Amino acid sequence: MAGGTGLLARARPRLAQRLALRRPLRGPQRRHRGAAAAQAAVTAALLLFTLLALPELLSLYYIDAMTQVAVYSVVALGLGVLVGRVGLVSLGQVAVLAIGAWVAARLLFATAQPYPLILLEAGLITMAAGTVIGLPALRLRGLYLALITLMLAGAITVVLATTNFPNGGHGFLGYNGGSVHIPAIRRPGIAGSDPAYFRYAVVVAALMFLLAGAHLRTRPGRAWAAIRRSEPAALAAGINTTFYKLWALALASFITGVAGGVLAGAVQYLYSIDFPTYYSITLLAVVLMGGAYSLWGAVVAGLLYQLLPALLHNWGVSADWLTIVFGVGVLQVLTTAPAGLAEQVPRDLRRLARLARRLGRGKEAGEVTAR
Amino acid sequence: MRTREHASGARLAIALAAAIAVVAAAGCGSTSSNTSKGQGGSTPSATTVDTSQCGTKPGVKATGTPIALGGIVTDQPGTSFTDIANMANAYFTCVNANGGINGHPIKYYIETEQTNPAQIAGEATQLVQADHVVGIVGNTSIIECSVDHSYWQKLGFYIIDSGIAPECWSTPNSSAVNMGPRYSSDGAVQYALSQHASKIVFDQSNVPGTGYIAAGPAALAAAAHVPIVQLTENVPISDADSVAIKEVDDAGPDGAVVLNFTPPEALVILQAAQKLGIEDRVKLWGCSTPCDTDFLAKSLGPKWNSKLFVNAELTPADGTNTTTMNLYRAIFAQYGKAVSGGIGSFSQFGFAEAEVAVHALETINGAYTVQSVNAAFKAVQDFNTGMLCQLWTYGSYPMHIPNNEDYTVTPDNGKMVTARGCTQISSVDPQIAAYRKVAGVAKAAP
Amino acid sequence: MPGWQDFQPFIVSGLALGGVYALSGVGMVVLYQATGVVYLAFGAVGAMGALIAWSLTDAGAPGWAGWLACVAFGAVVTLAYGMVFGPALAKRDPLVKATATLGLTLVLFGLMDLLWTTSGGQARSITLPTDGSGFGIGQVQVDWTQVISLAVGIAIAVATGLFLRLTKLGTAMRAMANDREITATLGVPVRRVEAAAWLGCGVLAGVAGILLADLVALDATTLTFLVISSLAAALIARLRSITLTFLAAIVVGLVHDLLTPVQSLTNYRDMTPFVLAAVALLVLSRHRAIARSREEA
Repeated sequence: MAGGTGLLARARPRLAQRLALRRPLRGPQRRHRGAAAAQAAVTAALLLFTLLALPELLSLYYIDAMTQVAVYSVVALGLGVLVGRVGLVSLGQVAVLAIGAWVAARLLFATAQPYPLILLEAGLITMAAGTVIGLPALRLRGLYLALITLMLAGAITVVLATTNFPNGGHGFLGYNGGSVHIPAIRRPGIAGSDPAYFRYAVVVAALMFLLAGAHLRTRPGRAWAAIRRSEPAALAAGINTTFYKLWALALASFITGVAGGVLAGAVQYLYSIDFPTYYSITLLAVVLMGGAYSLWGAVVAGLLYQLLPALLHNWGVSADWLTIVFGVGVLQVLTTAPAGLAEQVPRDLRRLARLARRLGRGKEAGEVTAR
Repeated sequence: MRTREHASGARLAIALAAAIAVVAAAGCGSTSSNTSKGQGGSTPSATTVDTSQCGTKPGVKATGTPIALGGIVTDQPGTSFTDIANMANAYFTCVNANGGINGHPIKYYIETEQTNPAQIAGEATQLVQADHVVGIVGNTSIIECSVDHSYWQKLGFYIIDSGIAPECWSTPNSSAVNMGPRYSSDGAVQYALSQHASKIVFDQSNVPGTGYIAAGPAALAAAAHVPIVQLTENVPISDADSVAIKEVDDAGPDGAVVLNFTPPEALVILQAAQKLGIEDRVKLWGCSTPCDTDFLAKSLGPKWNSKLFVNAELTPADGTNTTTMNLYRAIFAQYGKAVSGGIGSFSQFGFAEAEVAVHALETINGAYTVQSVNAAFKAVQDFNTGMLCQLWTYGSYPMHIPNNEDYTVTPDNGKMVTARGCTQISSVDPQIAAYRKVAGVAKAAP
Repeated sequence: MPGWQDFQPFIVSGLALGGVYALSGVGMVVLYQATGVVYLAFGAVGAMGALIAWSLTDAGAPGWAGWLACVAFGAVVTLAYGMVFGPALAKRDPLVKATATLGLTLVLFGLMDLLWTTSGGQARSITLPTDGSGFGIGQVQVDWTQVISLAVGIAIAVATGLFLRLTKLGTAMRAMANDREITATLGVPVRRVEAAAWLGCGVLAGVAGILLADLVALDATTLTFLVISSLAAALIARLRSITLTFLAAIVVGLVHDLLTPVQSLTNYRDMTPFVLAAVALLVLSRHRAIARSREEA
């Protein structure tokens, strides 16, 4: 923890600080204009590379894995907004993702609507569901809020296990258990192949990141920052804290619902066994590992959650070792890198660069004196 | 801060102690699996057969260009089918050490999956594009057939597998050596009906395809004019007592309870009934193939002798002294180190699949391509695996249920023994009827 | 709707299931009381202990040696975790502490699946001498292990409750869970008290592991994630009252099993702990009973 925030934490030990939440990232207005432009350029270049070059470079196996990374980055983004920006910790995001996937699958089987419309509807319906379920829970704080979301996720998991995911059947549930041929969930016409669907998922993910970023830079973002710093102070400043907390919940549910829609098309077959309750806890762990306080943290979390398993698997490492690695990773990051890898690694790199520069300078200086 | 420094020594000591405890635990784990292996395969010695019989040129190592085959198996906590692929691999290794396929060794790529459809699709493309496999053998996965069947169809692959999902039996490109949950449950229900059970309670785990599985027993019970109660349980089961009570209450004193669960879940239910002392309150208990393991028989105890009847698809491993079974035991002993479950139906399936594949490969003259290998697989006709009741046929059918005749076994003091010999699954199941209509009834194995 | 007759056996099994939830629920509350940590690894530690016990007895060791090994394993691992990660995370939010124990859970879970594979249809079980013998109340069969699980649940709840309330060590634990630093300035040997709390919880995890392996299943997945439903009882008691945790566990177990014979609800019965916990938390929060929760005190 950096010195400044550490001091603040000791002075006013609130949830946000104890979670080692850093103060809101300095906005672009405070940063050098040039640096902001450079960062935007790097982001754009990375995005272009991901969209254009990556599918050509990777095998289908890794393209599929990267599609999952795109999906789970968005899920991590939603959780990151809740945890890092507002200080609301949810242990039920995978259940929300499952709701989004369920809705999208049901609509995809039932209607011939265009895909973007389906994603929007999945997002909106998940948003409604997430908000209605989450509304009473918002009265709780900290650990209790987190644990009640875990309980709600457990309940949703049982319902999903019993109703199953739609598989082209009739009726409201759209499930036909007797099906001898389960039809695949359709994909958009322009993204039928795996590489094309990967690009599609990345574009949707980028839009979700833009949506979240736009929130953070405008009034809701400022309100969330105030709430996280001190709820009473925010109230005193005339901020409708309940409204903005609900807004955060709605935003997170919406983008997670959209991610569920993208997931439905990515995997094409949905099973309730793929959304066990404890995945929500693992997700929180990787989000904390990646860093809940920056948008990049969400991407890192997505990579940790989906690419790392694919990599290890391809190297012939048993899935059990991965579980162990995750366990050790959770412990390591929580004890030594509270702000997550997204902040830790660049800081280490910066430190390394500084060191290299200093060494270089020393060398130059030496040369000068020698001359 | 002083306390912290003070305690660091103690902390280190405790960490060390924990490390030792973990290592000790590791020791326990491995020794125990060794002992259980021994218990499984203790019966007849394999002196009559040695492993050189698995290939055409005994003792000559195959050195030609390898023939790449692949398989996808589920491996996740609680459900692991790696034994099947590992036993197939043991068979291939044996073949490679004894001449290979016309001098070509088989290179077998095993992919494991955690019931994640995206991962499974990725692994299929991985096998085809990166490993360049020419055939798929030994697939055993809860959902692989559903996810990949159209991909295999598109590429012209004909899979030899142990099936679970409905598509493993209902598509042209998958043919299994096992009967899978539906037809095996059929067999268990059929046995209960033959013992004049007045009511059937069919309980299964709530995993994909329950409705498809339930349709078989439902048809059999309806044809026998016996009422049937269909139940599903969310797994893992944490309230086995109430599950057992519910089943027994629903079945009544002249009824039968038939289970379709993985071995650990089935064991939990049966043991709950035993602890409650209610196992005698029904006429009999039935179980689909997964219950056919000595682990289960050993854990259950004598109360279940001739009370529990398990549908078994393969020649019982204990006490069968045929050439194939002895070869199986010999290969297991020599090459089967990775087969953690030991002698049992899982590794037998892997052996049978590898056997069929090797038999098919040996018929090929010329290059081993996707076309030639899969044509050979498809052409397998009336092959005697030495493990199944019937001769095994692939064939060009829109669906494949080549194994549809089986045994019934019952626990007997820690082992499973045959209660009834080979019996055909009834054509009352519409899927079986549909298959027999296109493929006829296979000949019984000699 | 089934009649009274049909519900009777489920009262007994429900009480036994309540005992199961109580065993792990009480253990978690004790540790939370003493260290402020929701110990999510409770189930995993017990499961691994039970598997070690199974391996020992399978290799020919007497039953009691296995049980002892299980309890010792629980104690050593929990104590080691507490000593290494307790201080490192002492100042962090309770939620971070809880998430960190998930790290331990995952490590143990992975190890268990590596060492005790279920490949090849391997199924294991632990039986206690009390299994299979019992008595009947009318038509309903009761076996001694069920009675014992309930009795052990009660015994643990009473013993730990008294310990925390009456002994000096117990009082120190409760004070420390409230505020570690203030307690330290009052001259309480923080590390030793914490070590005692972790050790005690580890022993509980081991004992619960053996009992649950017999009552529920000797299966890594089942036992590891049973904590999520057991947490419900602890939550209903707001992670504070051991008596309330025990009572809540019994209610959850009873409701769960009484739903079993109801055809329309039977598949939803596993929701019971979650729904009851959620409702209880929301109702309690309405009364502002927990609005001033620990992290705001």
